[in-house]
Order: sequence, then C-alpha cells, then structure tokens
Amino acid sequence: MIMSSIVADLYLFFSHRRPMVFVATLAVIVISAIAFVNLNLNENIESMLPDRKTDTTLNFRLLQQAPFSRKVIINLNKQSNIHGNELVEITDRLAEAMTPPFFTRVVTGPGESLNLDFFSWLVHVYPSLITDEDINRLEQKLTAEEVRQKLNEMYAKLLDPEGSAMKNLFQVDPLGFRLKVLEKLRFLNIIPRMRLENGHFISRDGKNALIIAETPYEITDVEHGREMLTHFQDLLANAVPDNITVSMISGHRYTLANIDAIKKDIVIILICSSLGIFILFLLFFRSFGGIFVFLTPICVLCIAAAGVSVFYRTVSAVTIGFGAVLLGISVDFAIHVYFAMRSDPSNPAAAIAQVSRPISFCALTTLGAFGVLSFSSLPVQRELAVFSIIGVCVSLILSLTTLPHVVRLPQMPKKNEKTYIKKELRLARKWLVYGWLAILVICVWQGTKLHFDGDLRSLNLVPDEIRNVESTLQRTWGNFRGTAVIFAEGPDLQTALETNDRIFRHLTRNLNSSPIVSLAPILPSLKTQQSNRQRWIAFWSDERKEYINQLLTTEGKLIGFKSTAFEPFFKFITGPSPPLTVENLQTIGLAEIVDTLIIRAAKNVKVLTLVPDTPEIAALLNHSDFNRSGIQFASQNQFRQTISKAIADDFIHFILKASVVVILLLGLFFRNLKKVLLALIPVVTGMLFMVGVMGGLGIAFNLFNIVAAILIIGLGVDYGIFMVSKISQGLDAATERAVFVSGLTTLAGFGALVLARHPALHSIGLSVLVGISAAIPSALLVIPAMYRKKNEN
Amino acid sequence: MKPVIIIALILSLPAFVLGQTGIEKSDDPNRIFIEIASAASQVETFSCDFLQEKHMSMLDNVLISKGRLYYKRNNRLRWEINHPVTSGFAVNGDQAKRWEGDSGRTQTFKVNQVPFIKVFTEQVFSWARADFKRLKKRYHIKVLSDKPIKLMLLPISPQEKKYLDNFRISFAADASYVSAVEVHEPDGDFTRIHFLNTVINHPLNDSLFN
Repeated sequence: MIMSSIVADLYLFFSHRRPMVFVATLAVIVISAIAFVNLNLNENIESMLPDRKTDTTLNFRLLQQAPFSRKVIINLNKQSNIHGNELVEITDRLAEAMTPPFFTRVVTGPGESLNLDFFSWLVHVYPSLITDEDINRLEQKLTAEEVRQKLNEMYAKLLDPEGSAMKNLFQVDPLGFRLKVLEKLRFLNIIPRMRLENGHFISRDGKNALIIAETPYEITDVEHGREMLTHFQDLLANAVPDNITVSMISGHRYTLANIDAIKKDIVIILICSSLGIFILFLLFFRSFGGIFVFLTPICVLCIAAAGVSVFYRTVSAVTIGFGAVLLGISVDFAIHVYFAMRSDPSNPAAAIAQVSRPISFCALTTLGAFGVLSFSSLPVQRELAVFSIIGVCVSLILSLTTLPHVVRLPQMPKKNEKTYIKKELRLARKWLVYGWLAILVICVWQGTKLHFDGDLRSLNLVPDEIRNVESTLQRTWGNFRGTAVIFAEGPDLQTALETNDRIFRHLTRNLNSSPIVSLAPILPSLKTQQSNRQRWIAFWSDERKEYINQLLTTEGKLIGFKSTAFEPFFKFITGPSPPLTVENLQTIGLAEIVDTLIIRAAKNVKVLTLVPDTPEIAALLNHSDFNRSGIQFASQNQFRQTISKAIADDFIHFILKASVVVILLLGLFFRNLKKVLLALIPVVTGMLFMVGVMGGLGIAFNLFNIVAAILIIGLGVDYGIFMVSKISQGLDAATERAVFVSGLTTLAGFGALVLARHPALHSIGLSVLVGISAAIPSALLVIPAMYRKKNEN
Repeated sequence: MKPVIIIALILSLPAFVLGQTGIEKSDDPNRIFIEIASAASQVETFSCDFLQEKHMSMLDNVLISKGRLYYKRNNRLRWEINHPVTSGFAVNGDQAKRWEGDSGRTQTFKVNQVPFIKVFTEQVFSWARADFKRLKKRYHIKVLSDKPIKLMLLPISPQEKKYLDNFRISFAADASYVSAVEVHEPDGDFTRIHFLNTVINHPLNDSLFN
C-alpha cells in the first residue's frame, strides 16, 4: 500500500514537471550511452572459469602454454602429379614468404644439420645418457657371438659406397652405441606420424609437409587476425601452385569464424525478432506510446553497462552479451505499466499505483535471484549479477516514473478478455491440471538424462571447413594438438630437468607402450648425467676393457681388421665425456624440439613432457607414492571435467539458493503458502520443461544455458506474481494480457536466438524458447485453474 | 653423410659436362669438355661391371668387391654388389630400395629419408642434367691428361675437405664413358673403381630400378 501511494504521488509530482523528467532521463541515457560506447571491454575467456578453484584456472593457463596451442599450423598436401622434392621446395618457398609483421617465426623442420656429424655426436653423448637398464643390456651383449656379428655387419657395410664415410664411426663405435642413443631420440618425436625428409616435417605417406608458425597477434585480435589470414591467402596465391592443397589451423580462424557467424546470426535474429515484435505491436499496442515500451530495455542496457563499469575496471564482453539477454526481463515491467495505464487511461496515477506493487515485487524477486549469482565461483557471473541488479533497478525506476509520462493511450475494451479466459478455463480446468502434471512428470523423467558440458570449445562455432582441416591434420600427423602436458617447474633449468627426470622414470616404470615425448632420455639434468657417467666409468673396469680388447682383436683378425683398428674405441671409453647441454642439442639440429619443450620465464623454467590425455596417466601422476612437488599436469579432459563439475555445482547451488530467496520473498509478499506455491508454477514448469526437453533430446547443459535458466526463473516468477495478484487481489484483466504479451515479446526477442548457427546463441535461444513457451500457458491457464478449483472446493 | 664415394659414383657415369669457372686450364680444357659433353648428350642408358678396391688402414688387406651399375635417364639408378656379399640399392625418381645379404631382406623408402641416398641421387641426376652451377660451387677441376682424358676434382668447402682430399676420373679413349675412378681421403685411404664391359644405350628394363 505504501509502495502504491508513493508511486501514485510520484506520478502526480512529475506530471507537473514532465520536461524536467524528460531532460533528466535523456541526460542519464545519453551519458550512459557514451560511457557504454567507451567501456573498457576484456575478451579474456578466463573470466568464464571458476577463480576459486585455482586448479582449473592454473590448468587453463598451463594448457595455453602447451606446444601448438597458440601456433599457426599449416599443412601442404601434394597431388599425385608432383614428384621429387617439389613439395619440400614449395614448403620452403611458402615459409620464406611468411615474414613479419604477420609471422615472427616459421619452422618447416629441424633442418639439415641432423645429417652431418650427427652419428659421431650420438656415440660421444652415450656415457652421459646411459641408464642402469642400458648397462645391463650392454653387459649381455659383450659376447664373442655378438661382437662377431657386429664386426661382420661392419665389414659388409664398408663395401657399400657409404662405407668409407662410416669407417671412422665404426672404429669409435664397433658395438653400436649410436643405435642406443637413436632409440632414445624417439622420445623427441613431438609429431607422432611425422618423419624427417631433407630436414622437413613430412607425413608418413610422403604426401604432406608441415609448417609451424608463430604470429604476434592475439587469437582474440579480430582485426589483425583477419589481416593475417588475408595476407596468408595472398601468399598462397603467389607461392603455391594449384596442385598443392594448403590447409591452415590457428586460433584466429576459430575467432573469425565465430565473429562472422555471430554477425550473420544477428542479422537473421534481428529481422525475425523485429518482425515478431512488430506483429506483437500491431496486435497489442497500436499506439505511439507503445514504442517507448520497447525502448526501455535499450536505455536500461546502456545505464547498466555504465553502472557496472563503476564496480569493475574492465568489464567482460561476455557480461555485456549475457546481460543484454537478461535485461530482456526489463521490458516486462514497462509492458505491465503500459497495459495497466491503457486499462484505465482516465486515472493513470491509480492504474500505476495498482500495478506498482506486483511490479516492485517482481523486481525484488528478480534482484534476489540475481543476487545469488554474485556468490558464483565464475567471475563473469558475479559481474553479471552486478550488471543485472543495476539493470533491474533502472528498469523499475524508468517503468514506474518516466514511462507513464511518455505514453498516451486509448482505452481497452475490458469486457471481452475476461469472458474469454473464463469460458476456456471452465471447460478444460480438470483435464488441464492433469495434463500439466503429466507433462511435468515426463519432464522430470527426461530431465534425469541431462548432462553438463564443460568443454568451452563446444560453445564455439566450428565450421565444417575447419572441422575437416582438424580431422585431416589428426589423420595425417596424429593427435599432436590434443596431448596432455606435464610441466616440471623449477627456479632454474637444472632443477626443472631434475624434476623432469623424475617424471620420466615414474612414467616409464609404470607405463608399457604409451607414447611419451620427453627430453629426459636425451637431455637429463647435469646431476643425472654425472651419475650416468660414473656408471659408465665403473662399467669399463680394466678387466672388462681387457676382455673386450681380446674379443675385438681376435674376432676382428678373423674378418680382416688390423689389431689397431679399434684404438679409437678404447680412447673413447676411457676418455672424458663432456656434459650435454641445451646448446649441444640446438647445434646438432634439435633446436626446435628443445625450444618447444623448454619454457623459460623470468622467474622459473618449465620443462614439458607430452603424454596421451588418458585417465590412466592422470591417475599415475596422482598416485600417493609419487612426489608431485614441482610438477603440474594440464589435461584437456581433466579441464573439461573440472569445468563441467563447476558448472553443475554452480547451477545446482544457484537453483537452490535462488529458490530459497524467491520463495522467501514470495512468502513475504503473499503471506500465504498456497499463493506462494501457485506463483511458483510458471517457474517450475518453465525450468522442468527446459531440463526435460534438453535431457530428452540429448542436448548438453552449458554455461549459456545457466543464463537462460536465470531468465526463465526471473520471468516465470514475474508471471506467477502477476497472475496470483490478478486473481487474488483483483488486479485488472489487463494483467493477463500483459503477461501474455510479455511472454510473446520474450519469445520473439530471445526465442529467435534459436535460429542462430552459433552454438552459444542457439543454446540461449533454445532454452528460453522451451522454458518460456511452457511458463506462459502454465501462468495463464494452470494458475487460474488451480486457484479457482481450490476456492470452489 | 660424407659425399666422397657418392661423387666417385657420379663420375662413373659418362654423362657429365664441366663448366668453365673453377676449372684449371690444361691442354685446352674447353675442347675436352666439349668432347665429354657431346658424348654425354648421346647417353640414354649405361650399364657396366665394376671392380672396387678399398685401401683402408684399418684393414689387413685390400677390400675387393665386384658388382654392377645401371643408369637410365629420368632419375633411375642401380648399384649392386655381388661379391663377396650381396647388397645394393636402386633408385627410381623419389622412391628407393636397398637390400643386404642373401636373405632377400629389402627396405623400401623415400630417397629423401636416407641422407646418403639423397645426396647421391641429387648429385647423379644433377650431373646427368649437366648442372654446372653445383660443380663450380663445390670443386676445383684439373685436367691431368687429355689422351685419354683424366680429371682431378678438389673440394672447395672445408666440410667436404674433412672427408675428401681429391678424386680422379679416367675416361675411355673415345671419352664415351668413365673407365676408372679413384677417391682419395685425407688420411691416405683410397678407393679405386674400375668400370668394365661398359654398354651404352642398350635397353634396360625398368624393373631393374623398381
């Protein structure tokens, strides 16, 4: 009552000062619009990750450091009519053309240096790399038969054209140590189905070459990303003939595909929803004043955006996007005011006063629901809460104070609408309630099938073309972009390498054949190298040296080798062995791999191990016997699971808390349990219908559906409050019309999103369409049916 | 991989022509090169037996092997050793195959995958195309004798000098084919290959190179 009289007084007060109201409102809107345009938006996806679950954010950050995650990957596929080195030549030509500012580093392979003194290098690093297991195997091979076989193979090799080239190597390494080191090099095979040809990454079938490039542009930098892709297309036209097919994958392509899809979607959605709203306008408004009803949400959006920037230095673009959707709720207040005034244009103050109470309560329950969001673990939802709270308050104020002064209305024919609803209900009341209950039961049953999708990638649009490129890359080169990464971290390289050694030992001890990419076998820490060399020195005791000398001399003599032929070997096993360093590996042609697997930051160094993204490996790292200090594990699968759980937890918490808040507020408003329960009918129906349809159709529930759910809760409660108020407190029949029109407006505005190609927009559209479609009839039909039934009974 | 022996093999082909730069004049080298070029341009196929002697300080005796060499235009080559062991390789375009011993065990691969074969084929086929640029960049060439023609090639790059001191090529009296190649290494070891029973432009079955 107090609220009603305040609103009525305000109306009367401002009715004599309309120019002041208009100027003040306009000024606020213009200032807010300017602030909105200049808003400092951030597009960092981290705002959508739970910040209180530090593991998730850390996991996300680590995944971004995984090899290839931010690189441009280019595949060149040759047709059958290309021969010899042409593929490699064209790859080089394209790589050379990829220059700054668009591309800062372009790699086609490890280069040719692998071919020069590589084998000699392999032999000389063996003492630093030899493990206990290697020593045991070596011991078993030091027999007369084994040595004879090796020398015979060597002798046969000397007859070949390359024999002369190999002779020095044979003299130093008659026992084939180099092959043991080659075996260790397989752990550096970062691209599973790759082989090296001419120092280039070539696919196993020889038909594909790979270019890995870096670009200075952020993946979210739309403008430069587009320039880069256009520039790349120009390069292709100039450097690559038609018989080579080039496919390219980079984060920028996904961004642009999404942006372009959203732009196209917006055109379609705007056309459809404008058409829908225009039809609603023609059917239900048909007055100049009605235009202002639809202008209300736009004004609210500007003011809320400006308002949220007061609380946050930068505002997430996602907040603004979601917020715009949520503020669809704000048009409802204006619609109710409009129809209330229209029902009694002769006494607008009384009409507004009458509707102000349920409107204020709707606003209060909506604020309560959004207030719950401010406890979310997702930063974006907390921002959204602030944004929406401001928006709802502004909408309430505009609807109750400014709007009544700008609408000029003809009177509505009251009689017809009342009789229409009554007749319909009388006929179908009983079956309506049973039918409604049956539908709810089916929805609950189907809703149990609903699952939560935490994969942020599934919220992106991936066009068929990019999907095909992804699948071609995976088929050709293996799943090199989808591995899990183990980070060995330390304040310096040696500490990180020591941890890396520990990881490698743990993995190889417990895994049989999983492909692991690790520096540990070829670049152990200096500490491990020292221990390996001591093992090597201990192995070559005087007795063993004498033994092997006799074997080589005796067996060698039989084949035709001089007794001095293997003096270089004895010099090698007794001589010093220099420690292996990163620089050694870089010089020998492994620079790219080393740089990929070692990340140096200002305060720490990370050494990466790539492993298949399987639960077994995750479990192995979490095993209680394994010391995890200095070790971090980043896995796409684990990340998805964590996010899914966070979304599910957040959703359930939100629903529970929002329900409690809304029920308490409804109780406060109605002070009658039955009325409270009746008012909840549209919310419960809308939510269950949404959950049931999504579960039944196998559509996963994602982050965007949460936003849609909030909208359904907000609107559903509003419908419930208005309908129960209308029936119990004798509100004007225009209320039914207002609820109906408000529902249709929401469907036209947000249900149209279902036509979008973009998964995020489509998700919101689908949820709103399904939820509100169920909430409207339940408000208009089920509440009156149940309410009257109780009274009659 | 060291290019020493590769070059020796390359030069066992009659089809090469020498450029002007990087060549030391002796007894009108231009006339000699024109003579070789003229002979080379006529060669479509080439096959011969060879006798290879390897003089190595690590061995008690000279390592002698015998085999056969085939060449056909458009990037086809076959090098086979028949004695004292069986081994060799065949190249056809960018495909290659090698075999070792009598077990019949073979390995098929892309030429580019095996550095030695890659360098070998690059050299052979560029010489077959009379690619002077590559020669001028890599060797000083001396004419040791013009009747019969005998050339000596000295590497220019320090990297190549580590493995190769020089190699010498002797031609048949009519310059139509190479009769012998000697490859001298810096440590004194050397390889001598005699080419015998040379047949030029005799049809060679493609299956030899597959």
